[in-house]
Amino acid sequence: MIKPIKIGALAIAGALALAACSGGSDSAGSDVLVVGTDLPLQGASADASKSTNEVIALVLEQAGGKAGDYTVEVKEYDDSTAAKGAWDDAACAKNAQDHVANANEVAIMGTYNSGCAKIILPVANEAGLLMVSHANTYPGLTITWDAGEPALYYPSGARSYARVIAHDGFQGTAAAQYMYNELGKRTLALLDDTQAYGIGLADAVEAEFTKLGGTVLRSGWDIKAGSINTSTFEKVKGQGADIVYYAGIFDNNGVQLVKDKTAVLGDNTVFPSMAPDGFSGYPVLREMPEAEGLWMTFAGKSLDGIKKGGGQAAAFIDAYVTKYGYEPNSSYAVYGGVAMQVIMKAIAASDGTRKGVLDAVFAGEQICLTAEESVSGMGFCLSTETGDVDTVTMTLQQMTGGVETDIRTIDIS
Amino acid sequence: MTNLQPAHHAAGVNNKKWAIGFSTVVGVIFLLNVFVLPNSNTQVQRFFNAWFSLNSLAEIMIWILMALGLNIIVGYAGLLDLGYVAFWALGGYVAGWLMSPFLSQFQVNFFGNARVGFDQGIHFHVFLVLILGGVFTAIWGVIIGGPTLRLKSDYLALVTLGFGEIIPQFMLNGSNIFGLNVTNGAQGIGGLDQPNIFGYVMGTFALPQKFLMVSLMAGAMIFFSIRLRDGRLGRAWLAIREDELAASMMGVPLWRTKFSSYAIGAVGGGIGGVGFAILVGGVYADRFNFVISIIILAMVVLGGMGNVWGVVVGATLLAWVNSVGLVQVGQLINNTFDTKFNFPSYQFLLFGLLLVLMMLFRREGFLPEARMRMVMNEEKLEDLEKVTDDTKIGSH
Repeated sequence: MIKPIKIGALAIAGALALAACSGGSDSAGSDVLVVGTDLPLQGASADASKSTNEVIALVLEQAGGKAGDYTVEVKEYDDSTAAKGAWDDAACAKNAQDHVANANEVAIMGTYNSGCAKIILPVANEAGLLMVSHANTYPGLTITWDAGEPALYYPSGARSYARVIAHDGFQGTAAAQYMYNELGKRTLALLDDTQAYGIGLADAVEAEFTKLGGTVLRSGWDIKAGSINTSTFEKVKGQGADIVYYAGIFDNNGVQLVKDKTAVLGDNTVFPSMAPDGFSGYPVLREMPEAEGLWMTFAGKSLDGIKKGGGQAAAFIDAYVTKYGYEPNSSYAVYGGVAMQVIMKAIAASDGTRKGVLDAVFAGEQICLTAEESVSGMGFCLSTETGDVDTVTMTLQQMTGGVETDIRTIDIS
Repeated sequence: MTNLQPAHHAAGVNNKKWAIGFSTVVGVIFLLNVFVLPNSNTQVQRFFNAWFSLNSLAEIMIWILMALGLNIIVGYAGLLDLGYVAFWALGGYVAGWLMSPFLSQFQVNFFGNARVGFDQGIHFHVFLVLILGGVFTAIWGVIIGGPTLRLKSDYLALVTLGFGEIIPQFMLNGSNIFGLNVTNGAQGIGGLDQPNIFGYVMGTFALPQKFLMVSLMAGAMIFFSIRLRDGRLGRAWLAIREDELAASMMGVPLWRTKFSSYAIGAVGGGIGGVGFAILVGGVYADRFNFVISIIILAMVVLGGMGNVWGVVVGATLLAWVNSVGLVQVGQLINNTFDTKFNFPSYQFLLFGLLLVLMMLFRREGFLPEARMRMVMNEEKLEDLEKVTDDTKIGSH
């Protein structure tokens, strides 16, 4: 019975001795400021995250490692675990505390997954730590969406989160405008995958298409793998639909859905269809003959679009290839660089404290990046009220010859 | 009667021993994080944060809870459960439903701690939610166990596997159940209330206090596990585990005994699920996959099936490796030998290798239960005897 007490007493004495030998903790306001990148470094998104960190390192290198008078260092945080092979809620919760505990850290670049942002943001917000994401498209993080959002993520009552990519609401609006104004369609068969992303997107499409004067026939599609959806298409055919929009992700029985649409309504030359970025980047979809002619939207510019745009953005991609020997993994990686540029501007305009950096984005003059200085080639300003970009660029793509081909970009202000 | 007295007294002393030991470890960690580390220099802080961060230690306590819950089903009663993650999910969602503004069609506050401006939803006191989380999962244990426990081991394992897949899928797709948003689907339920314990609100940065809370939960689970094992029910579970037919012949009601193990084991998952949701601040369906069930099972098997302390060791070790251990050890090796191995990506390889080695050389686990060790050795002896007999037959 004595043994554990003895061990405990020894441990406490040792710990106290350790503390006595050591000095105090670092104080804030140092000339070396830290930006934490919070990305899933393991599992399916590992390559994209590695590429994002490389882009950020290059952005910092090209700026001479400085933002204004301050030397900036990057600290990489991993919000995934090998066991899950993806972002992990416990890892996100741990990182949130670690970001706050790192006294020199003045901003977080991330996260990649909106779910992880929902965990980190309230903690960072309470500590007055700026967070800028390059990839979160969930609307509720910045605008009213589900019950209690976005206030739920800002316990301090003040905003502290910005993102350099358009949220899903913009994508729905852009798609509705394109279908109504440019394709001249008036009756939309709007199918959603009954999940949060799909429903949110469908809400935005429905609101805009109806506002423009069109008719929306809305229903959910059966997402169980291999489930047949022909009856849904028969129904909208009978109701006079002239275009289909798939609001959801391709993983949710997308193969069968696209096949069923073609079987009932015909291919895309006869009866066009459109999909969001939830259908982007799937080799299986590219290989499907039924997908030929499918219209698609993508938030921001594709990597090809960035390169073809020339200027500073194309030069940055070249510099990346020279440094690392390969291209960035995706355009999201480049947007990671844009988020870093925003943070560096905020640091340069600040007094080197967390509050100063946060105020530079939300209380001072708007933080803007011109198209010439942005590594994505897209200029924008951040809203001081929501933290969203004021100019949204969507890329319109069409599946041609098994390739998602850029048609043009659509700017929404 | 006189013989029973010293044994009972000895059990009491043992209980006191582990309780003091466990409290000492938890107390030292708590004091270290509250008084010592905040006043230490950056290097010391960095070391502890990298290798033994309080977040990871709190998470380990949750894993211990889960593993002990599963140990009742697998280690005590010998029923293979491949879907234990479902109970974790159910417990987590109980916290999501009863401690957040999510069910905004209601406005109920029963000693809860609703955040300012978020009065909508249900806000129960954390103690009540812990109890309800345990009861809710026990009911689900009964619902699932009732019709399936008559099945033999392999078939039961398949049913539990199915259960472990159905519940998380339901959570993932439960944003529209007959027009009702039950789980908020893939978006999960965030913004959980901060626990209010006797007037003390555990805020966002009250990590040491949260650690203390989950440690107390794990301690309670250890206590109940030990008491249950030593009791009449526990002995009946062990009897079934060793020989179902013999147990039945001795008058142990098979179905009822198995049934109780499933229901009581589920409680660990439920309470752990509530605790985890509080730690994370929400519940997200992404977590609940088959791999988690297997990791909890591995904690039980590697630690030593049936032995509470073995399971605690197994859970601590594997949870630490998964959380920070492998990354830190990997970095240490890479820095020492100037290599660039991505150790976390080899986690399952290392994990598999460890399992194979354990099964070859120490299949009773790190800290095996005495009875389990005897059974294993008995089998070895029987094998040895068979070989000897065969040799004798061969020599004739």
